[in-house]
Amino acid sequence: MKYLSNEQIPDFFSSLQATHEVRLPIMLPDGTRCLGHPGDGTVALFGGALPAKPTAAFFPHEGPVFVAASEGFTEPSAPEKPLLVVGFTSRDLACLRFIDRFFAEGWRDDIYFRNRQGALVVGVSGYCGPGGASLALADGDCDFELVWDRTRWLVVSHTGAGSAIVEGLAETVSDGTLERLRKEMAVYEDENEKAIRRASELIRADRVPDTFWSEIGDRCIACTGCNLACPTCTCFGVQDWRYAGRVKRSRMWDSCQLDGFMREASGHNPLGTEGLRTRRRIHHKLAADPDRWGEISCFVCGRCDAVCPTGIGIFAVARELIERFGNI
Amino acid sequence: MKRTLTVCPYCGTGCMFYLVSDSGRLIGVEPSTTHPVSRGGLCVKGWNAFGFVHHPDRLTTPLIRRDGKLHPASWDEALGLVAERLREIQERHGADSLMFASSAKATNEENYLLMKLARGVFGTNNIDHCARLCHSSTVTGLAETFGSGAMTNSIDCFDNTDLILIIGSNTTEQHPLIGSRILKAARRGTKLIVADNRLIRLARHADLHLRHNNGSDVALLNAMMQVIIAEGLEDREFIAARCENFEAFAASIADWTPERAAPLTGLQPGEIVAAARLFAGAKRAMIVYSMGITQHSHGVDNVRCCAALAMLTGNVGRPGTGVNPLRGQNNVQGGCDMGALPDVFSGYQKVSDPMVREKFTRAWGVDALPSTPGLPLTRAMDAAAEGKLHGMFFMGENPILSDPDQGHARHALKNLDFLVVQDIFLTETAALADVVLPAACYAEKEGTFTNTERRIQRVRKGVEPPGEAKADWEIICALAKQAGCDKMHYPDPSAVMDEIASVTPIYGGISYDRLDPLGLQWPCPDRDHPGTPILHIGRFNRGKGRFSPVIYRSPAELPDEEFPFVLTTGRTYFHWHTGTMTRRTHLLDREERRSFIEINPDDAARLGVRERDDVLIASRRGSVRAQARITGIVIPGVVFMPFHFTEGAANALTNNVLDPESSIPEFKVCAVQVRKAP
Amino acid sequence: MSSSADGTTASLYVPVDCEIIAVSDLTPHEKLFRLRLKNGAPLGHLPGQFVQVSLLGWEEAPISVASSPTRTDYFEMGIRRTGSLTSAMHELTAGDLIGVRGPFGRPFELPKLRGHDLLLISGGCGLAPLRSLIHYCEDRPEEFGALTILYGAKSPGDVLFKDDFALWETSARFACSRTVDQVPEGDCYSGGVGLITSLIPPLEIDPHRTVAVLVGPPVMYRAVIAELKKKGLSSDRIVVSLERHMRCGVGKCGHCTIEHLYCCQDGPVFWLNEIEHLRGAL
Ligand SMILES: Cc1cc2nc3c(=O)[nH]c(=O)nc-3n(C[C@H](O)[C@H](O)[C@H](O)COP(=O)(O)OP(=O)(O)OC[C@H]3O[C@@H](n4cnc5c(N)ncnc54)[C@H](O)[C@@H]3O)c2cc1C
Ligand code: SF4
Ligand code: SF4
Ligand code: SF4
Ligand code: FES
Repeated sequence: MKYLSNEQIPDFFSSLQATHEVRLPIMLPDGTRCLGHPGDGTVALFGGALPAKPTAAFFPHEGPVFVAASEGFTEPSAPEKPLLVVGFTSRDLACLRFIDRFFAEGWRDDIYFRNRQGALVVGVSGYCGPGGASLALADGDCDFELVWDRTRWLVVSHTGAGSAIVEGLAETVSDGTLERLRKEMAVYEDENEKAIRRASELIRADRVPDTFWSEIGDRCIACTGCNLACPTCTCFGVQDWRYAGRVKRSRMWDSCQLDGFMREASGHNPLGTEGLRTRRRIHHKLAADPDRWGEISCFVCGRCDAVCPTGIGIFAVARELIERFGNI
Repeated sequence: MKRTLTVCPYCGTGCMFYLVSDSGRLIGVEPSTTHPVSRGGLCVKGWNAFGFVHHPDRLTTPLIRRDGKLHPASWDEALGLVAERLREIQERHGADSLMFASSAKATNEENYLLMKLARGVFGTNNIDHCARLCHSSTVTGLAETFGSGAMTNSIDCFDNTDLILIIGSNTTEQHPLIGSRILKAARRGTKLIVADNRLIRLARHADLHLRHNNGSDVALLNAMMQVIIAEGLEDREFIAARCENFEAFAASIADWTPERAAPLTGLQPGEIVAAARLFAGAKRAMIVYSMGITQHSHGVDNVRCCAALAMLTGNVGRPGTGVNPLRGQNNVQGGCDMGALPDVFSGYQKVSDPMVREKFTRAWGVDALPSTPGLPLTRAMDAAAEGKLHGMFFMGENPILSDPDQGHARHALKNLDFLVVQDIFLTETAALADVVLPAACYAEKEGTFTNTERRIQRVRKGVEPPGEAKADWEIICALAKQAGCDKMHYPDPSAVMDEIASVTPIYGGISYDRLDPLGLQWPCPDRDHPGTPILHIGRFNRGKGRFSPVIYRSPAELPDEEFPFVLTTGRTYFHWHTGTMTRRTHLLDREERRSFIEINPDDAARLGVRERDDVLIASRRGSVRAQARITGIVIPGVVFMPFHFTEGAANALTNNVLDPESSIPEFKVCAVQVRKAP
Repeated sequence: MSSSADGTTASLYVPVDCEIIAVSDLTPHEKLFRLRLKNGAPLGHLPGQFVQVSLLGWEEAPISVASSPTRTDYFEMGIRRTGSLTSAMHELTAGDLIGVRGPFGRPFELPKLRGHDLLLISGGCGLAPLRSLIHYCEDRPEEFGALTILYGAKSPGDVLFKDDFALWETSARFACSRTVDQVPEGDCYSGGVGLITSLIPPLEIDPHRTVAVLVGPPVMYRAVIAELKKKGLSSDRIVVSLERHMRCGVGKCGHCTIEHLYCCQDGPVFWLNEIEHLRGAL
């Protein structure tokens, strides 16, 4: 098995810039972590999930659809070098797997795949969570994974492309560390994950009355943060801007917590109340997506709870819901 | 990919986020996770704050009016013309025939520089900004009672208080990340009293919701205080040790019984008593207010009452207490701090004080500075209309939509000999200008904003301005040079801040190297001072807190047979003021696309108006069209309308009657009629 | 994936050029556009499908194809002026170019309709999409049993496709009735007055041979469905076409969802039994 010392990390990823457009977790001046280029700041692999969703590397907040001018349409080009994005936790990777499927199924969303196709995805796991907490091993869903065993990063590749990249790294003896870590991570039972599953059961069994959704909706200030932070939220709006001689069409993240999200020109609005919108936010992940895609589309990354200014992210809602309707 | 830490350009909450850009274009924002106010969140405007920056309508070159039309021009031409014409007017009609309107959207440095330009270069105290329209009553009222016209406490205090009285602030919509703190506090058991006749979100979570009549705040607050004194619930120790004029004050409200206030406020006496007891019973109580208190012809009186209630119950100078006016604009606090006001230099130093003038004369290297206070913005518009003002310079303001009585504002500006507008879009006001100067927006320049809790924070440049647009501070300095002043050279805004610090005691310790990453709260008198999260600890800024008795006055225009509804105006959650930025931001525009009016179901039924019908709203001053939104948020007899929309402009209706002390217009009450549009 | 004019594969989101051949007024608020793809190819749609009409500078809007694929020289759309794109569209005239993407969505399922009596019910603007099916029936009458057309509009001034209707009324193949909710004073209108639901009770329906196809505003559905059920029609014999806010037409933007369904992909045409139990569907 390959490994990297923590000191080697910056250089290793910098060296990949020759062939790849590298993005990895860095520390910003105020202590916020984000995806950046090596050299933009100190590498910040430790600390768990990044506050902003790493899937934004493939599907940015706002991005071009095309530019139309008299010569015709110019579509956004694929990155000059394939992307290599580091910093996905196992939960983020599950989210990525989900949206890969979402964007591929039926009509294939070529704008997404322009960034995504050929990109390398690197997971992080082991004892590199917040304050040294453990992050479950992904054991797949990425090209290779960096597993912190408290002294070094074990480099575990999961695809041919991943193996090719890490080929040149130093070998360490396979001393069973990885197996030990895998076992250690497995004993942590995630309370949030349990709550999400239980809440899903209750919603799907129709145990949650509308009054509950309106009560939660009363506490929502429609900031849209929960949607914008969520790696499996993929809804977008479209905007045209008219410049002299050309029109730029772009698309940007949208949010079902806004009244205009489904409002039709006639004024008819299937999501016309806060209660209905709040229900949709949770129901979509915990009931609708399981019906359509066969799995709950909340992979328990924790971002919506972190970003919600009023404390009604999905974990908080799930817990409140279980407390109130779980024992009837 | 580049990330730039900066301050939200919308409300005075002052959230910080990173602008994300790629190859010189903004592609999103990411909240700062460590910021003490936003704590990793933002409201919908913050999340979309990048959305208008590259809009095709941005101004990219100076424009000069020739033959009635605006034509592109070079900077030299445009600034040359501005300097020449302003000087000409100054010479012909005197310096006080000029007026400079600064901007609560611009940085501290820019406000300071425009104030310096007006006073130091053109020799007039005629400088003001839109704080006149929002919190001038606060500045006057709190300065008189406490000695400092700013929010006394910090946003963090909402986490540690026992009771919050929200009066005239729709906090979850107008200061969303403060509103969300209040919501969370309520969940933890903090008591909420909401005094607002609209059923705002916070009212749904309130322990007590008082739907008092518009403009009856003095009656309500006086009666609450009467109950507190009559029942012996006041904090005698605090009053004795820290306040003055209590006896006279107590006598002045002795007959303000809840029974007397009831018919004026439309409340039951019992509701007032309950509110008084609840408030007085709290160990720590915060008063939060905003435009609902200030934008009245008796706005200063409203503020005095809030201050008195806090002093009466000993709720000043401790964590989780205080009188907390929430400042509307991102930098309206800073605009005031910087002396973009007719009567004070930066740091509220009076122009009438010879010592102060002496100091600024020396610091700026000028011969003399004018000593009589200048015109407030609202009075300046009157003066322009009367032909007493000849030239105006607007930096980032759109009075055609934001000032009361639109017809009046338009007439005033058209009456000028020369109008200059410096803005990022060709606003309704800029369209009338003789010269338009294209400015950089917040994302394209360096500087500082001061938020509502007096936190001075860094604004940073994420992308280049479009075309030839320049930062306001650069434009002002270039104009000063054209006008023959060679003393306004600065390599960058941090040098301006150093000058501000040297002449402004409350900013004395501010310099850019100290503002990273999360800012400092003034007063911060010297470089070692850690800043001041809570004002008036142990001692009021003016020494003793002053109880100022107030006499109840009703709003200037009350409904009658012909105009039977009370119109109250305000903002919506999705738009910012005159909509120049938010209406060009896709998601925000989609949410509210038209002017609307909130009307109670009973009234609507009586008028035969159905949801989404068009209605005509008319006052004695004008008439506009808007879409009806039928809702119990408003009580019968009251209609609410936002002022963002140029088509259906609420300020075509409002009453340009001013508070005699602060000159704030009465945006919150006027009489209108409503009928179904044909 | 759509193909651009020169045959190379372009983005899913890039529209193809489409020429307006003719524009005519249907009502003061609605116009009929006759169009042709610039590359001469037929649109390739089936009745009930829609296209994303793209006007540069005004974004896109989903618009149903109002003509039958049996008429291959052109296709038609009836467009009501409701907002920015549709207003801009109303300014256009013959010879102007617009963009379209599509056709998208699930059409009326012709194989399942063939051999049945069809009850073709529409209200307001809903006649536009239904017209594609009516025209199809007109051109292939042998495929169906008895054909009944019911149409309701708000007022005489809102009645769409008057010329078509006149033809259908005289055709032996169709039984037609129409009604308006109300007649403004002074209007010389001679047809029926009343809600569209009033047209159903008098009908003779064989519930085992009949399929009802409904296209109309949300308020119409519940009332009409109740009447149809009284006639013994079960939910698997009722077809509805639903309108939703749509931004992409291809199942990605998320604006059109009804619980787990995407109206642009799984619809807009649904059998009633697929959606009647879903929250907010009707
Ligand atoms: C499957 C389908 C078929 C349709 N067929 C027709 C037709 O044949 N003729 C016709 O006149 N209209 C039809 N509509 C409605 C038409 O799409 C809307 O009237 C149009 O989107 C309004 O756009 P606008 O820019 O003019 O209106 P605006 O009021 O300026 O914009 C309305 C906003 O709602 C959005 N929106 C998106 N989808 C819809 C929608 N479905 N309904 C309302 N608003 C929407 C718009 O993009 C925009 O953001 C159809 C809608 C659907 C879903
Ligand atoms: S925890 Fe929240 S943000 Fe994360 S996947 Fe679940 S719903 Fe999305
Ligand atoms: S983050 Fe919270 S407040 Fe914001 S939209 Fe989501 S649920 Fe509402
Ligand atoms: S609360 Fe105010 S400062 Fe914060 S993001 Fe919203 S508008 Fe900006
Ligand atoms: S229209 Fe975009 S998902 Fe259906």
